[in-house]
Amino acid sequence: MILLPCPYCGPRNVSEFRYVGEVSERPDPNETGVEEWRTFLYTRNNPVGWTTETWFHSAGCRQHLIAERHTMTNEVRASRLPEAQLPEGQEERATGGNVAGDGGGAIY
Amino acid sequence: MRAPGAIKSALGAVMSSVGPYDRNGSTNGHKPYRYSAFDLLRHGFSQADWPRAWRRHDPKSSYDVVVVGGGVHGLATAYYLAKNHGITNVAVLDKGYIGSGGSGRNTAIIRSNYLTPEGIRFYDRSVKLYETLSADLNYNAMFAQRGHLTLAHNDSSLRTMRWRAEVNKLEGVDSEVIGPDEIKKLVPFMDTSEDVRYPILGALYHPPGGIIRHDAVVWGYARGADALGVHIHQNTEVTGIDVTGGKVSGVRTKRGDIATPVVVNCTAGWSTLISDMVGVKMPVSTFPLQAAVTEPVRPFLNPVIVSGTLHVYVSQTDRGELVFGASVDPFTSYSMRGSLEFTEGLAGHVLELMPSLAKMRLLRQWSGLCDMTPDFSPIMGVTPVAGFFVDVGWGTYGFKAGPVSGETMAALIATGKMPDLIAPFSLDRFASGSLMGEKGAAAVGH
Amino acid sequence: MSMRLDHRPGEVIDRQREFTFTWNGEEYPAYGGDTIISALAACGERIFSRSFKYHRPRGLLTASFLDPGCMVQVDDEPNVRGAHRRVEPGMVVSPQGVWPSLEYDVKSANGAFGRFLSAGFYYKTFIKPRRLWPVYRRMLRRFSAGGTVSASPAQDYFDKRYAHPDVLVAGGGPAGMAAAVAAARAGAQVLLVEEEYELGGYLRWGDEAELAALRALREEVASSPGIEVMPNSVVEGRYDDNWVAVMQRDLSHVEERLVKARAKTLVVAPGLIERPYVFEGNDTPGVILSTAARRLINLYAVKPGERAVVFSANESGDAAAEDLARSGVEVARVVDARRGGDIVRVKGGGKGVRAVECSDGAEIECDLLVTAVGWTAPTSLINMAGDRPVYNERAARFFSSHLPDDVLTCGGIAGDGTLEELIEHARATGGEAARRAAKTARRLRGGIPLESEAPPAEISELPLYEHPALFRGKTHGIVDYSEDVTSKDLVTAEKEGYDSIELVKRYTTVTMGPAQGKLESVNAVAIMAETTGRTIEETGTTVWRPPYSPVTLGALAGRIFEPVRYSPMQPWHEIRGAKPLVAGAWIRPDHYGDPASEVLNVRENVGIIDVTPLGKFDLRGPDVPKLLNHLYVNRWDNLEEGRVRYGVMCLEDGVVFDDGVTGRLGPEWYVMTTTSSGAAGVGEWIDNWLQTAHPGWRIHVTPVTTAYASINVAGPKSRELLLRLTEGVDLSPDAFPYMRVREGRVAGVEGCFMWRLGFTGELSYEVHVPAAYGLHVWETLMQRGADLGVGPFGVEAQRILRLEKGHFIVGQDTDGLTGPYDVGLGRMVKLDKDDFTGKPELAWQSEINGRLQLVGLQPHDGSLVPPEASQIVEGESEIVGRITSSRMSPTLGRSICLGFVAEHLTTPGTKVVVQLPGGERVPASVTPHHAHYDPEGTRQRG
Repeated sequence: MILLPCPYCGPRNVSEFRYVGEVSERPDPNETGVEEWRTFLYTRNNPVGWTTETWFHSAGCRQHLIAERHTMTNEVRASRLPEAQLPEGQEERATGGNVAGDGGGAIY
Repeated sequence: MRAPGAIKSALGAVMSSVGPYDRNGSTNGHKPYRYSAFDLLRHGFSQADWPRAWRRHDPKSSYDVVVVGGGVHGLATAYYLAKNHGITNVAVLDKGYIGSGGSGRNTAIIRSNYLTPEGIRFYDRSVKLYETLSADLNYNAMFAQRGHLTLAHNDSSLRTMRWRAEVNKLEGVDSEVIGPDEIKKLVPFMDTSEDVRYPILGALYHPPGGIIRHDAVVWGYARGADALGVHIHQNTEVTGIDVTGGKVSGVRTKRGDIATPVVVNCTAGWSTLISDMVGVKMPVSTFPLQAAVTEPVRPFLNPVIVSGTLHVYVSQTDRGELVFGASVDPFTSYSMRGSLEFTEGLAGHVLELMPSLAKMRLLRQWSGLCDMTPDFSPIMGVTPVAGFFVDVGWGTYGFKAGPVSGETMAALIATGKMPDLIAPFSLDRFASGSLMGEKGAAAVGH
Repeated sequence: MSMRLDHRPGEVIDRQREFTFTWNGEEYPAYGGDTIISALAACGERIFSRSFKYHRPRGLLTASFLDPGCMVQVDDEPNVRGAHRRVEPGMVVSPQGVWPSLEYDVKSANGAFGRFLSAGFYYKTFIKPRRLWPVYRRMLRRFSAGGTVSASPAQDYFDKRYAHPDVLVAGGGPAGMAAAVAAARAGAQVLLVEEEYELGGYLRWGDEAELAALRALREEVASSPGIEVMPNSVVEGRYDDNWVAVMQRDLSHVEERLVKARAKTLVVAPGLIERPYVFEGNDTPGVILSTAARRLINLYAVKPGERAVVFSANESGDAAAEDLARSGVEVARVVDARRGGDIVRVKGGGKGVRAVECSDGAEIECDLLVTAVGWTAPTSLINMAGDRPVYNERAARFFSSHLPDDVLTCGGIAGDGTLEELIEHARATGGEAARRAAKTARRLRGGIPLESEAPPAEISELPLYEHPALFRGKTHGIVDYSEDVTSKDLVTAEKEGYDSIELVKRYTTVTMGPAQGKLESVNAVAIMAETTGRTIEETGTTVWRPPYSPVTLGALAGRIFEPVRYSPMQPWHEIRGAKPLVAGAWIRPDHYGDPASEVLNVRENVGIIDVTPLGKFDLRGPDVPKLLNHLYVNRWDNLEEGRVRYGVMCLEDGVVFDDGVTGRLGPEWYVMTTTSSGAAGVGEWIDNWLQTAHPGWRIHVTPVTTAYASINVAGPKSRELLLRLTEGVDLSPDAFPYMRVREGRVAGVEGCFMWRLGFTGELSYEVHVPAAYGLHVWETLMQRGADLGVGPFGVEAQRILRLEKGHFIVGQDTDGLTGPYDVGLGRMVKLDKDDFTGKPELAWQSEINGRLQLVGLQPHDGSLVPPEASQIVEGESEIVGRITSSRMSPTLGRSICLGFVAEHLTTPGTKVVVQLPGGERVPASVTPHHAHYDPEGTRQRG
């Protein structure tokens, strides 16, 4: 059971969190054709190595956070607030809306 | 006998390739050695060595087709290329030993009771191929059609079971919804009482479903492909794929470069890595899937049991062990170290179903990698790079599709025509919004 | 024949406590402290099981937990480790998998046919004819190993516990004890876990000096505060970030307890496992390891035989020879491997060893052969920590190559040495473990490493002694005792092409039995190396996987906690005999006996239903309309105060995800409702948008599902009923029309709100009451409405009512691909909104054709209810739709349905063909509306 450092709560068992998915830039729906939209919806980098992803501390502070995790070792080297909440990122950047397909074999 | 120059371009070449080949593909094969009871006796008396089931080779500088991934999909593709289409100048590459990936790590459940007509037809063909596989390959894969029960613990899953049963019947597949009494008859150990947390309301019963010896399927295909002339290269990791003018031209491996117009990505877990080598992006996320086995006890469980609500499936092998599986891990990873949470949850759910197993002991847990797609269906066929074929995205259902995938991928590569059975699984369905309806019933539908 | 010896200085048996137990149908005496097998061996028994494939008689080999021949059935518990489990008075122990008896096993005939049953023989036969395979298979199943489970539910009690030790020491031998003491003295909280019943490891069966050292170490452990000792417990696995599973078996009040420890540092000190020697007849009863001989003699005071040959390559063998001699066993010969001696084969039979043939040709009559060829390092735990152990030729065993910072080793797994050297090394390791744990503790607290932090301890490496590489003699024998795999099998498999250790393991099943390779693995690797001409290092090992030793499902499951949720009105429902319905986490009343009359009562009088499980969110702030606009497909920025609107949510892929009504109670105050099952998902979805995309929006979200008890009061007399107990709300139709929300007092309860909506199709009010008063309001409604005919209705009646009214249910009348345009809600989608979830997909959906559409359906035979999921077909078997909901309508007196049909069948009046589960096909017609009852909605607007 890996420990995931929550920016609010500190290191906690990963079972307290829900995996949301790879961080990917949500395109402006008004400027985006459906095929390009589907690339956003479905295509994943799925890297072997470091990846940046969104987690939700569902059994803790119920905050979303961004973590950098190595997909081979599951080592987490950094975690932070979502980009939109960072001081320098005051302009609204949608990076977390990719809840469409990730989450594996969950029953919908 | 391969006609030099017959391969002109990736797809074109493979499409027209049947001509120059000897239909039986025996040109660079060796005489297959038949296993039989008589032979077993003969060897028993003489104690002579058996011949190698498949041979070792140095990689050649070129092949007509290079299959990446020496699991059941890759080996079956090579086997049917040789057997059905006479294409024998084929190499199967694996970075480890054959069957070291999902083929050797799955829980070996075979069934065809899917939800969509497309899914049912496809898997039904696979079950049919599995039924005759031992005889076809002269290698006993020990397919045991003990029946398959998918339990329903609430109204909505019971409704989904009935939906599957009805579509199955229309497709000619034997499935029916049965009640708790019939379940109890099939599985006396099952707790079918009503006052439990997850009462069993019914089940989808699928008599042709069952389990098989997964390694034997891999070895049988390897032996069969080898006999027809296919080269199997173990410990031969692919490090790159050359693309020239939008077409595949070769494969780089840790044992040297190989020229080829056709590369088939038959990997699981690593399919993104291989596809990335030609720049083809995939709607794939890789999740570990864990499984576990208990110590053997005397046989008491005949059918395969699945509960989607409890995320668990159980079968008892002929050796007496219980084999357990669950849904994929809660987050993506290529780590195969396994977790304690998995065994804790699994044991709890098994005991919900069969409380009298509390003193059975878990012997071993392991993990495999599953390439999940957004609609719980595979990705098969061509890609924007000519000569680069994919047979990936197999999620948790790849093993049961091994034979039919090999057969259809071989047909696609050899004839250039998309077999009807796999047309719905093309990569472009995501861009065109034609996702497969299996999403509705995916759950843990093993 | 008693084999019990006189008092031994280190014996663990309690001669004052004598009792009997049953083995194989007969009574046997035992002492307290005896294991099942030591008690039987003391009575001269030598055969405890039959082997898996050849059904050869098997005796004891290791006299420890691992002993493959000592698996027995104890009462209803299969596969009990008889050489570890302490025998108890009255215990009923039986041999496993024998037929008809242990002494004469019919299946042992297999032994004679062994030459035909080579590894993988089953892959080569039973292939044709195919129809006979099931017959063969049933026959093969008879040979499955193991004990018996019974179908009676187990009453055993299991438990779990969390632990947060600074240092967890796996193994309570001399090294583990010394490490634990050193760590505790350095200020660490230590958990010391030992597989056997007492601490001490090999010192326990040692000589006087070793027993003295044992007493000293035990005293140190006992006097060190901060050490918790868990005997008869096993470290089962090391998972990511030192999450360590310990199975605790020494408790009186539970069978077993799973301890989940987040260890800051793990010290692995499992000692070494003695390796069997491979030669012909090596599984004959009477061939035992030197440690087994020493355990039997020194711990249990049992003489292992009468006349022995000792094959020794190390001190353990020499010590065993001395122990044997001292206990009255005639040592006929010591064959010394260090001087070139070797064993060729053992001759014997059903009764055990008869003679040993040595490499110099001598054949020595005896009933006991003790072997001491070397050691295997149990590298499981370090392997689980990501280490790939490497082979050291000099020491003839595997060692760790690269350990993570939070894992250390000491004792035999780390090297050789005198007892003093090993203890000194262990003390240094324990101190370093404590130092690293303290560092980790500071890091976990978010602290900065201290300037004055102690430097890493210098741990001098242990010496490596030269150990002979003795794995197999000149003959072939058993490698895997549990699986009956011989060295010949391995050689054969390699020649057949199964030429890597992983393939040979899978082909022959070597190392796959209950010992999981701890006895067999290195021998298997060595034989593969010998066959292939490679070194052991090149051959490599298989991966060791958790658990370290088999664990019960009961302990892994623990006590099963499955939370359920009840509404505050549950006591009332139970008294009224409501049939419970499991709906996710909620248990709800399905009905109170007769759902049809509950329906009619709603249509004619008034009914009340407990809808507390409805998801509810309290949304406050000026930007709530932005959020609603974003989540729902329809428009929300124009919702006036006091109004309620129905909304549909899609995910980014344009698939219907949830629906419900949301009302505006104040200028910046909204309450959103969701489906019961969708509440958690919607809550997370809201959090996701607000936290990751729009943290600037001024919205406060509070989940209030269980803060309010919710009651739907439905029926033509609902207004009349509510008039009697509502204060502060003008209920007249003009003042409180359809789709409006009002706050007020109900049955004297402040802080209620209610809205008018029409899920049932009748005049109805959904009343939300502070949860603590839910039961009070419910009971008041029942009392005050008695003369109006008020009655409760359950989920089933509600399903019928909504189906009569044609309302779809997300998840039942939609699936994983259904969009709003497919269920007749396309007009709700406002594509001119700036940005909302799934917009590009919905824009695409608005333009495409050819998808299935949800329609109302009525079978021509109104008495027939096609089961839900019945398919709608054309021609032979083409599927053109399906029934998603169906019921007999008490109101209309006929069957009614909702279902999907292909686009060409959507015109009202179209006849479709429904195939029933039995295969019969019946006609049905598409209705003009989804609603079968009051399609104009006059009743609900009243």
